[in-house]
Amino acid sequence: MTREELISRLDNVQSLPTIPPIVSRLNEMVQDEDTTAARLGKVIEKDQVLTAKLLKMVNSSFYGFPQRISTINNALVLLGFNVIKTLIVTSSIFEVMQASDIRLFEHSLGCATAAGIIARRRGIKNPEEVSTAGLIHDLGKIVLRAELPKEYDRILANSRERELPVRDVELEIVGMTHSEIGGILATQWNLPDSLVIPVKYHHRPAKCKDHQEITAIIHFSDILIRAVGFGSGGDPWVPPLDHKAWDIIKFGKSDAREILEELDEKLAELANFTGEIDQEQ
Amino acid sequence: MQRIPIKYAVPGMKLEKEAVTPEGQVLCGPDSELTAELIERLKKQGVTVLTVQGRPVVLPGDKSLGTRLKELEHRFSKVNNDPVLKAIKKLIAEFWIVQERGPEAVASAKRTGGQN
Repeated sequence: MTREELISRLDNVQSLPTIPPIVSRLNEMVQDEDTTAARLGKVIEKDQVLTAKLLKMVNSSFYGFPQRISTINNALVLLGFNVIKTLIVTSSIFEVMQASDIRLFEHSLGCATAAGIIARRRGIKNPEEVSTAGLIHDLGKIVLRAELPKEYDRILANSRERELPVRDVELEIVGMTHSEIGGILATQWNLPDSLVIPVKYHHRPAKCKDHQEITAIIHFSDILIRAVGFGSGGDPWVPPLDHKAWDIIKFGKSDAREILEELDEKLAELANFTGEIDQEQ
Repeated sequence: MQRIPIKYAVPGMKLEKEAVTPEGQVLCGPDSELTAELIERLKKQGVTVLTVQGRPVVLPGDKSLGTRLKELEHRFSKVNNDPVLKAIKKLIAEFWIVQERGPEAVASAKRTGGQN
């Protein structure tokens, strides 16, 4: 398959659930300066299934709010519209992920957790947005799996047999890596740049011009969560560290120990969260 | 020290860290011994995870420390020439060893020049 063929295929993704119509309604509302969180919340809460899913996500340990968030209005105020919108757009995709590849789902949740911890320690204004970028960073892998299942199986088999990282084999077999694919879709779905850019550049953070700090955090969080071995991104190896990105976020050993401690604690809670999901299925 | 989902808690276990509700309220402190009543009360208050002393539970998917350290080496096998990642690998290994055997294990390994 050529790059061009894949790009035109991505324009018309059939295999994933469609984006709920509520998203375009919300987008319109947000353009209007008079729109309040309470009004947006009311629109979302009309859909009870979506509301329940959103509240479950925002209360999971990777966002790490000390208090339980019980209404969409609260979630909007605490996490911001960008996060809620991204969770609505991707909620159906995460259902596909949970059903088809629970270990990739765990990897994504773990990356979100690590990203949130680092963002909070760095005093970033909206750490939940960084967590959300971590949550969706491997979006391209879900799309590949759903849209081109035969190629995806070949990619995984090749990676195993030749002991090559999945992203190198992706380039060989479909002419594009999952990060580029994820970036294309996130753009199509009108997600904000603060989320599109980390998805697109999480393996090549030195190439991005904006949102470099968030992208560096996602790049490192992906490495860290693979390093501790939580979930699976498709192959077992820790990816190379980009030292330009590391220069933006670098920290010493005692910080690293605190991060590992906090991550371990949150991952234990997360295992409980994914366990609950298993039981529901 | 081991973190366990509360459904694995049984009477007689001792807490290593305080039990905290999702709202951040501390319900009982370190060294508290769990009883059936206490476990029920913690569950009712929304506690999902406990940190207990020792390593009393074999959780599904739990691996021995030796296996985990071997897998850690394998995961880093393509980036071993990077000094930052090498340092991170060492910190993770030390963290696990301390968790399993206590801080003395890492200190004594360092004294004897062990590869931890």
